[in-house]
Amino acid sequence: MNHSTDIDLIEGLIKQNPKAQQTMLDRYGQLVFAQVARLVSGIENAEEVYQDVFIKVFRSIDMYDAEKSSLRTWLSRIAYHESISYLRHSSKPVIYYEDREGEAEKLSESEVNATFGQPNPETVQLIRAALKHLPPDERAIITMFYYEEMSLKDIAYVTESIPTTVASKLSRTRKKLCKIIKMLQS
Amino acid sequence: MNNEDKLKAAFKNDAALRDAIKLDELEAPKMPADLNARLMKRVAAQAPTTSRTRKLWPWIAAACAVAFIAVFITPPKFGTEGTEMVAKVEKNEAPAQTAPAPAPAAVVAKAEHIAPIAPAAPKVAPVAPKATKAAKPAIAAPVKPEAIEPAVEHVLAAATTVPKAVAEEKMVTMSERDIPITRPENYKYTPEELAQLKKQAAEAYLKWVELEMEISKNNLEQALK
Repeated sequence: MNHSTDIDLIEGLIKQNPKAQQTMLDRYGQLVFAQVARLVSGIENAEEVYQDVFIKVFRSIDMYDAEKSSLRTWLSRIAYHESISYLRHSSKPVIYYEDREGEAEKLSESEVNATFGQPNPETVQLIRAALKHLPPDERAIITMFYYEEMSLKDIAYVTESIPTTVASKLSRTRKKLCKIIKMLQS
Repeated sequence: MNNEDKLKAAFKNDAALRDAIKLDELEAPKMPADLNARLMKRVAAQAPTTSRTRKLWPWIAAACAVAFIAVFITPPKFGTEGTEMVAKVEKNEAPAQTAPAPAPAAVVAKAEHIAPIAPAAPKVAPVAPKATKAAKPAIAAPVKPEAIEPAVEHVLAAATTVPKAVAEEKMVTMSERDIPITRPENYKYTPEELAQLKKQAAEAYLKWVELEMEISKNNLEQALK
């Protein structure tokens, strides 16, 4: 997205201009909704969180710092935290695999590479099934890295972390996915 | 090559993982077409509320400040007392010393009825200070009944001129200040009380010393045995 158009948009949002707000929704709505729907299950819940995200964005647009991140990353950050907050306060439990005994860490790098390096339909389906067993935050990180192709710095900004932590978390999640696949296969 | 490049190079071959995530994202629920319209309605509905709040808060703050200042500036009604008590004085309880006239009898009876509340306090005049303005000379008078008499006559004279007011005086208002213990002048100990306290403290100390000596004596005896 053009940086100068974002600046105009932010100026309009600071003035609470409805036209600017509509432009914001048209431009970034899909991205935010996808991010929210990735973390929050159920379309009604995702819609609720989506609305909360943009209301928060419109209210706190003057807090946006263009030097720290792009508008898109800033929006992702708000969407991520709003979704995590919703999940924490939600009465619906989230069930996921937790590698308490550190078995995933025992897997060798070559073994993991071999699992994810074969793009055959069976493996893809297995990975998709395994992705459902990941905690929402880990799933969000892995999607931001592989699908949205965000940099480690941006992911760290979104998750309020540091790039090295994100890198190690990605590596761990990758191994955990591989472990889940092996469990599903067995 | 930095950490990120290394990671990207390592994960470059994760084609299956990338495909799986891509498929997942494609199958993710799509955003409803009217969601943005609903959101804009919600935003428009909330907009006047915020502006109203912004306009109202200075007034609320000002009202709070005025109330706060008023509380501090307004002097208290009385020095120490909190609530007021009302004592009802009955006409037929008038003692023998009062004058025979029926209406003034109530005034004198009221004074005598209140007096027993603080009989022991040395500094307190044994009458109610809030009786009536006319009755005040009688209140300030000494405890002796002979001394009260002229004041009572004065009160009777005043009372007979205002019969309506006397009828209202059946109800006498007493405040906590009328009770000797709550009077500021009774907050301090009298020299006699101070002497008594010192005496008691000395006695207590002596008893404690005696007890300590007895204990040590007992301990010694036991040690010898």
